[in-house]
Amino acid sequence: MSILVVGLNHKSAPVEVREKLAFNANNISTALSVFLHKHQTAETVILSTCNRVEMYVSSLDSAVKTEDVLSFFADFHKITLTEFSPYMYHYTDDRAVNHLFFVTASLDSMVLGESQILSQVKEAYTTASMEEATGKVMNQLFQQALNVAKIVHTKTAIGKKKVSISSVAVEFAEKIFQDFTGKMVLVVGAGEMCELLLKHLYEEGARTIVVANRTFERAQEIANAFQGQAIKYELLGEYLAKADIIISSTSAPHFVIHSDQVKDAIRHRRGNPMFLLDIAVPRDIEPEIANIDNVYLYNIDDLQSVVSQNIDERTREVEKCRAIVEEEVEHFMARLEEMKIEPAIMLLRNHFHAIGKEELDRLKTKLKGVDNGDWEQVVYTVERTINKLLHHPAKVAKQEAKNGGGYRYVEIIRKLFGIFHHADQS
Amino acid sequence: MTLYSHIPFFIVIFLYFISSVWSVGYIMKPAFFNKKVGKWSMMMGFLIHSGFLVFLGLESGNIPITNVYESFLSLIWCILFVYINLDYLYKLPSLDTFLVPVVTALSLWALTFDGGNLLITVSLQNFWLIAHIIPIFIGYASFTISFSLSIMYLTQQRQLKHKLFGPLFSKLPSLEGIDRLMWKTISFGFPLLTLGLVFGTFWVETQNILGEQWYLDYKVVLGLATWLIYAALLHMRLVASFHGTKIACLTIAGFCLVLFTFIGTFFMGSKHAFQKVSEHTHEKF
Repeated sequence: MSILVVGLNHKSAPVEVREKLAFNANNISTALSVFLHKHQTAETVILSTCNRVEMYVSSLDSAVKTEDVLSFFADFHKITLTEFSPYMYHYTDDRAVNHLFFVTASLDSMVLGESQILSQVKEAYTTASMEEATGKVMNQLFQQALNVAKIVHTKTAIGKKKVSISSVAVEFAEKIFQDFTGKMVLVVGAGEMCELLLKHLYEEGARTIVVANRTFERAQEIANAFQGQAIKYELLGEYLAKADIIISSTSAPHFVIHSDQVKDAIRHRRGNPMFLLDIAVPRDIEPEIANIDNVYLYNIDDLQSVVSQNIDERTREVEKCRAIVEEEVEHFMARLEEMKIEPAIMLLRNHFHAIGKEELDRLKTKLKGVDNGDWEQVVYTVERTINKLLHHPAKVAKQEAKNGGGYRYVEIIRKLFGIFHHADQS
Repeated sequence: MTLYSHIPFFIVIFLYFISSVWSVGYIMKPAFFNKKVGKWSMMMGFLIHSGFLVFLGLESGNIPITNVYESFLSLIWCILFVYINLDYLYKLPSLDTFLVPVVTALSLWALTFDGGNLLITVSLQNFWLIAHIIPIFIGYASFTISFSLSIMYLTQQRQLKHKLFGPLFSKLPSLEGIDRLMWKTISFGFPLLTLGLVFGTFWVETQNILGEQWYLDYKVVLGLATWLIYAALLHMRLVASFHGTKIACLTIAGFCLVLFTFIGTFFMGSKHAFQKVSEHTHEKF
C-alpha cells in the first residue's frame, strides 16, 4: 500500500501550463473512471482548482508509478509529456500525506490561510467517492486531511486577519456601523476597485447604493449591477450629507470632495459618523477632512499597510501550522501501517480457526453419542484457546506496525504460519 | 464595624480585581488570559457580595443602607446586577473590560468609608425610603454602565481616528453598536432617577426629614443637576438626534456628577439624613 501525489501548482507552473492540465466538473468523472479502468486496484482523487492540479493515488506495492500518472495526464488532455512534465512535482508516502495536509490547511495557497481550498478538497473527495474511486486508504487520508485543516484553523491565527484591500475596508466600516441595512453608500467614480468594494458591501447587506460618475452611462451600469441609483456628477454635494459610506476613486487630478462640504454634511448629520474611503491616486478627498469630528477617512495606503501587516501575521503562524501538520502526518502514517497489518492478522485468525474446525470435525466423528451440551463446551474451549493464543501476538504486531515495521511483521506472519495467499489485500 | 467583618468584602474585592486583570489581559494576550476566568471570578464575587449584603441586612433587620459604607456596597451590587442582566439580553463583547475595573475601583473606595462613620438618621422601615432609594440606585447603576460604554466609544473612536488597529480594535464592537447601547442604558436609567427624585420630594414634603430648607441640601441640589444633565442628553438625542463623540463626553460628565452627588457631597458636609456616629450617639443619650 503506497500513496503517491503527482501535480503542479501556482508556484511550479505558469497559468498557461496549469490550464492545459485542469479538469472541470464535466470531465472529472470520466477522468477518474478512465484511470481506474487502467489501474483496477488503485484508489484515486483528483484535485483541480485554478491554482493547482493534483492527482492522489494509492496502490498495492507501488503498482502505480509517477510515469503512469504523467502519461495518463498526457493521454487524457491530448498533450505531449514535454509540455508539462518539467513543471510537475511528485511525492510518495509520508511526503505525499504531508503535502495534502499542507494544501488542505491552506499553507500552500496563493493567499495564505484562505478557506476556499478546504471546500475544494472536500468537493474533490466527494466527487471521487461518488465515482467509487476511493477506498479504505483514500477515505482515511482525505477525511484526516479535512480534519487537520480544521485543527490548524482553530488552533492558529492563520486565517483570522483579513488580507485583501476590500475585506479590510469592509472590516473598518463594520467597526463604525453595526450593520449596513439602511445605510447609504455613495460611490464617486467607477473604477474596478469600487466595484469590488461594492460587491463586498452588498454581500454584507448594503442596499441603498448611489453612484456618481463623470460619464453618466458608466454610473448607470454599476448602479444597475447593485440595484442602486445613478446620479449626475453635479449632484454629488447634495448627496454627501445623506451618505454614510463614501467611496471615491475618480481619475481627477484634483480633490473632488472638500473639507467645507464634509463639515456641512456632518453638521446636517448631527454627529452621525461618516466613513470615507479614498482609493484614488492622486487622492480625491482633501486629507484635512480626517480632523473633523465623527468623520473617518482612509486612503489606499492605510488599507494596504493593514493588509501587509495581516499577511505578516499569517506568515508568522506558518511554523506553528507546520508543527501541527507534521504531528498529524505521523499519526496518519502509524494508522496506515496498522491498516497494512490488519488483513494479515485476519488471515492468521482464519487460518487458526480453520485448523481448529478441522480438528473438531475429526473429533466429532470419533466421539459418537456425545450430547449437545458437552459438545458445545468442547467447541467453546477450542475457540477460546485459539483466541487466547492469538491475542498477544496480534496486539504486539499492531503496536509494532505503528512504529513503521508493519511490512516486516506481515512477512514474518506469512513465513511462520505458511499463509501465502492474498496476504495484504485491503 | 470590626476588621473581621470586612473579610467577606475583601474577598469580593479580590475577585473583582482578578476579574479586571483577566478581562483586560484577555484583550492583549488571549492565549494567556482566559476569558472564562474573568467572567467566573466576577460571578463568584457577585455571589459573595450578594450573600454579604443579605447578611448585613439580616444583622440589622433593614435593607443594607444603614450607613454610607453599606449604601456604597448596595450601589456596586446594583451596577453588577444591571450589567449581568444587560449582558444576558444584549451580549456585549468586551464591556466587562471597561466595567469591571470601574467596579473594582469603586469597591476599593467603598472600603475607605468604614462602618459606623456616618449613620442614617431616618427610620428605615419607611415606604418612602425604599421608593426613593431603589429607583435611584438602579438608575445610577445604568448610568455607570453608560459611562463605561462612553469610555469604550471614545477608545474605539480614537483608534479609528489614529489608525491604531491593534488587538483592542478588533475586539471592540462598532461605534454605532456602542452608541445604541449607551442610549438604551441612559433611557433606562433616567425614568428611574426621575421616579426616585419625585418620591424623595414627596418624602421631605410630608415628613420634614431634612429640615425646613431641604432644597438647599447639597445632595438635593446636585441630584437636580444630575437630572438636568441627563435630561439634556435625552433631549439632544431624542429631539435633535445627536450622536457621536459629544454625546459620549457628556455621558462621562454625567457620571462624574452622579459620583459626586452620591459620595462627594459627604465631603462637603452635607448630611442628607446621615449623621456622624459620634453626634448620633450623643443625641441618643
